[in-house]
Amino acid sequence: MADPVNEVYLADRRFDRVLIANRGEIAERIQRACRELGLKTVAICSEADRQASYGKTADSFLCIGPSNAAGSYLNQDAILLAAHLIGAGAIHPGYGFLSENAAFSEAVEKAGIAFIGPEAPSIATMGDKIAAKRAMILAGVPCVPGPDTALPDDTASVERIAREIGYPVIIKAAGGGGGRGMRVVHEAEQLHQAIALTREEARQAFGSAALYVEKFLQHPHHIEIQVLCDIHDNAVWLGHRDCSMQRRHQKVVEEAPAPGISADMIGPVGLACVEACRQIGYRGVGTFEFLYENGAFYFIEMNTRLQVEHPVTEMTSGIDIVRAQIMVAQGLPLEMRQDEVECAGHSFECRINAEDPESFLPSAGMISDLALPEGQGIRVDTHIHAGYRVSPYYDSLIAKLIVHAPTRADAMAKMREALSATRIEGISTNLPLLRALFEDEGFARGETDIHYLEQWLRQRRGQ
Amino acid sequence: MSRVDFSDPSTIAALADALTVAGVEGMEISWPAGNLRIVVSKEAGTQVSMMGNAQPGPAALAAAVKAPLAGHFYPLQPSDCNGAERLPRTVSSQDVIGFIRVGFVLLPTPAGKAGLLTRQLVEPEALVGFGDPLFEIEPL
Repeated sequence: MADPVNEVYLADRRFDRVLIANRGEIAERIQRACRELGLKTVAICSEADRQASYGKTADSFLCIGPSNAAGSYLNQDAILLAAHLIGAGAIHPGYGFLSENAAFSEAVEKAGIAFIGPEAPSIATMGDKIAAKRAMILAGVPCVPGPDTALPDDTASVERIAREIGYPVIIKAAGGGGGRGMRVVHEAEQLHQAIALTREEARQAFGSAALYVEKFLQHPHHIEIQVLCDIHDNAVWLGHRDCSMQRRHQKVVEEAPAPGISADMIGPVGLACVEACRQIGYRGVGTFEFLYENGAFYFIEMNTRLQVEHPVTEMTSGIDIVRAQIMVAQGLPLEMRQDEVECAGHSFECRINAEDPESFLPSAGMISDLALPEGQGIRVDTHIHAGYRVSPYYDSLIAKLIVHAPTRADAMAKMREALSATRIEGISTNLPLLRALFEDEGFARGETDIHYLEQWLRQRRGQ
Repeated sequence: MSRVDFSDPSTIAALADALTVAGVEGMEISWPAGNLRIVVSKEAGTQVSMMGNAQPGPAALAAAVKAPLAGHFYPLQPSDCNGAERLPRTVSSQDVIGFIRVGFVLLPTPAGKAGLLTRQLVEPEALVGFGDPLFEIEPL
């Protein structure tokens, strides 16, 4: 961590031109925050995204590679080259792509460009799930029962560890994430085969065969705590979110605050997250992800980047997280103290995906007509417009529909109205699924654990 | 920024793949003097027929030479004092027809195909992106 009183360091971090190393709605969102801060923007694109609307509104726009992400949005050299060619003083990685790549963060800073995100060692620590868990235990953050070390090779030790935790357990890849590289083991007889399969998967997918084991929770909720930290040892948490509504580990609907969790319960966890950030010298925005079951929180991982679902926290806290993230990257102190953070009302976010609502197959093609909802407490983050061509090359997220209202029931009603006013023609979207979900009584009661959506879909199909 | 280049074989191949996946079995392209019909049939293979009294001229078959990476475009080496080379001129596929400069590095851009180099599409020293069209080449 840099010396916060080093004025030379702070002067070096000032920038007036930001390259946005991403695409889609988040490129549009970051550009808006930069403009509000008076910063010039550089949009980059792949060949498939040449017609992107944010390219027309950016101060500079440059195609950096072919349509496949490996040649463009994941191409570190091409992004750094673009930053040099246009004289960008900072790079914002958005989410996905290179946003949690420690080597990229390091390469950007070594090139004399500010990385709008944490320093490389923080990303590396949190990217290694075992190291992250060890850091969290040290900071007093509650973790899922299980050792904070990699699984040993000898069979007897592994059996003993699993027995001590108690079945069911879950075997996870230390370098994994996003639901990949994990396997649930319900009884001792399945243990060794599960370890062998997961180890091979981890070796191939993440380049590391290191595994760890934890207690498998049966019906947890997915709870997140948003943090914001500067380089002057200031850190705050901005409330909590529930992101349990998932299909195949991909979030579909998010809300803030999480229903059924009181301020007394979450308060100590939030403060522990802030303390953990101070201990690891964390800079920027981050999200602590927890499983919540039977009144207890269990840390699962930290995302060292801006989250897709950050708007629900912005709506309840009134804090522009992207703006704050950029200011922190400039070396400026946070504009708020913890006792000034006040969350009010309830917010939902629906991820609108270009996909078939039944089969979930991606739906590429041209949007022939479009109507998006407007009104008080309604926000749409998107890059699409009538005539926009949805590319088959990237993630199917095309818009985020966000609402805010005084109560959860009011927010649900507002989302129902907003969804019914949303029309996207020419491609298939998951709008019918989202509309049906917001009519569901179980969801309305807040009874949604991380398996709820999958079960709901099975029931709808009559399985 | 430039438009999508529909003369690029990789773009055409990607479009053809997408159409095939979508179950399209044929397509028809019309222009004022005629039309082109391509029918894909599993039994008879692909059949191409052209109707009307005009073949597309060389200009319609022109292909673009694109920037291989982002950088500043130079039609000649910056140290070259002889001035711009005249257009149109005949080039071979190996001929260097321009340069992309990145810092101190000057990357030669070959024509890539033989033909008549008819148009330079970018001003000297302009910043170009990957794939931006630099020149137009017509078949001989």
